[in-house]
Amino acid sequence: MKTPREILLARHRAAVPQLDAIRRSVVAELNRPATREQNFLASLVAGLRNGCNPLWRELVWPCRRVWTGLAVVWILILAVNFSQRDRTSAALVKSTPTAGMMMTFSDQQKMLNELFADRSLPAEAERPRIFSPKPRTEAANFLTA
Amino acid sequence: MPEVADIEHLPVPQARAGEPAAWDALFRRYQLPLYVYVFELVRDEQAALDLVQETFIASARHLGSLREDHKFGSWLFGIAHQKCIQRWRQRKEILLDEIPELPDDGESGPDDRLIQREQEAEFMNLLNQLPPPQRTVLLLHYLEDFPIEEIARITETQPGTVKSRLHYAKRALRKLLETKNENAA
Repeated sequence: MKTPREILLARHRAAVPQLDAIRRSVVAELNRPATREQNFLASLVAGLRNGCNPLWRELVWPCRRVWTGLAVVWILILAVNFSQRDRTSAALVKSTPTAGMMMTFSDQQKMLNELFADRSLPAEAERPRIFSPKPRTEAANFLTA
Repeated sequence: MPEVADIEHLPVPQARAGEPAAWDALFRRYQLPLYVYVFELVRDEQAALDLVQETFIASARHLGSLREDHKFGSWLFGIAHQKCIQRWRQRKEILLDEIPELPDDGESGPDDRLIQREQEAEFMNLLNQLPPPQRTVLLLHYLEDFPIEEIARITETQPGTVKSRLHYAKRALRKLLETKNENAA
């Protein structure tokens, strides 16, 4: 009398030598340094994925609508920002100043400088007047008389 | 099931550390049940051997994705199951037909009994007559005595579906065995 498991295993026991050979070859392959590195990287990635899964489940998934809304808003902001940046850069590229324009610009600049120049201080400090007393009129008459 | 009892002592942490001896022990423990499972699904000896080899390689590569070490067995069978499905898809075979769910009425199946030597061949024939979804859950149940939840995870179905498939499969087997016995008497 046998259990179904025993029957199933007994029926395929003839495959054991082949399975042993497969097992040995796989284990030998695992021993190779290159395979070890690959497996290490794969397990690292899997470990990271495992680490991220709880975050995703507990932090992101429960309020996914909020996160989606925030993402949409950010995408819109970025889109507007990029579109405006493109426009200004295009305008900069298109305008090539001519000589006349440059002259007008320099004139305007000069005028602006004059207009906005600081008037609180005199351009040049006034020289102090040297006091030289002159003879009064009577005195002068007296002297001449 | 003496070989099923040693699941607690599987050297999964050592295998995770890359010890070849641990991998050897793990593969040795599961190679035959895994082969039986794969063979009974694909019915091709060479293909079954190839799939077992692919399963071993994939398990060594992706052991990092296994969260609970004591579920190594069901995880390994899950990889093998996926490999079988891939093969089915390549060959465009029909693999899963939906079966309506039934509440478990607590009937005992043929796994609760011992099967007489004369009935062994009959048992295998009857098992092969079952549709693939029923055969799959029955094999997992017989070979490793996996609980319903783990069979559901391996086959990527709902536990209720597994339960009903198991129920149908056991009932079908029992009926077939009884009919054979009556005919023999």
